[in-house]
Amino acid sequence: MKNVKILCVCGSGTVSSAMVANKLKEKLAKHGYSVNAVEASPTSVESSLSAGGFSLIACVSPVYKDYGIPKVNAVGMLTGLAEKQVIDDCLKILDAQ
Amino acid sequence: MGNIREDLIVFGVKAENAEEAIRAVGANLIKGGYVKDSYLPAVIEREAEYPTGLQLRTIGVAMPHTAGVHVNMPAICVAKLEKPVEFGHMGDPDTKVQAELLFMMAIKNPDEQLDMLKKVMSVFTNDEAVEKLSAAASQDALYEAAKAYIG
Repeated sequence: MKNVKILCVCGSGTVSSAMVANKLKEKLAKHGYSVNAVEASPTSVESSLSAGGFSLIACVSPVYKDYGIPKVNAVGMLTGLAEKQVIDDCLKILDAQ
Repeated sequence: MGNIREDLIVFGVKAENAEEAIRAVGANLIKGGYVKDSYLPAVIEREAEYPTGLQLRTIGVAMPHTAGVHVNMPAICVAKLEKPVEFGHMGDPDTKVQAELLFMMAIKNPDEQLDMLKKVMSVFTNDEAVEKLSAAASQDALYEAAKAYIG
C-alpha cells in the first residue's frame, strides 16, 4: 500500500470533510493507497499545508487560491452523484506522483 | 442509544428562507439541551459563508451544522419543510438548491460521531432513502424513515 496525505477542506473544517475523508480512505484503499486524511476549513488550508507532504486537496467547499497542490472537487462524493468521477480524479493525480 | 431521537424529528416546518428554517429546526436542539445558545448564531453565520445545500438526484437538501464548542451533546435533527426553501449549494455558493429536507447536526467530535456522519452520507447517496424521507406524510412516518436509514 502506498501512503498518501490528503487535505480535506470544508466550511467548518470538520463535518463534511470528515465524511469525505472517510469515503476517500475506503475507496482509495481498494486502489492500493493508504490515505492519511487531514481536515481543514478554507481559512486554515495554508497553515495545514505547511506540515508538508500533501498529494492533493479534496474540496467540499470551494478553495479559490492556488497552493501548488492539485485540487479535486469532492462534493460529488457527498451526494454520491459523482463518486466515481471524484475517485478517478484523485487516482489520476496520485498515480502520476 | 441510536442516532435518531423522537424529539428531534420535525415535520412540516414553516419557513420562507434558510435562516428561518434553521431557527425553526434548531429550536428543537436548544429545547432538548443538546446545544448552547451560541449554536444558532454560529450555524446561521456559517451557512451564510459556507452554505450546506446539496442537490441530490431527485430533491434538494441542506445539512446546516457547526461543531465542537457550541455543542453539549451530539445530535441530529431531521426536518421536513412545508415547502422548499432556498439554500446555497455547498460546492458552489452561486448555485441555489431548493431544500425539502434538513439534516441539522450538532457535532461534538467528528471522529467519535463518524457512524452518524456515515449514515447521513449513505442517505444522500441512496435514492430509496431519499424517496421515503421526502414522501413522509406525518411526524411518525418521518421518524420511522429516519430511524430506518440513520439508525
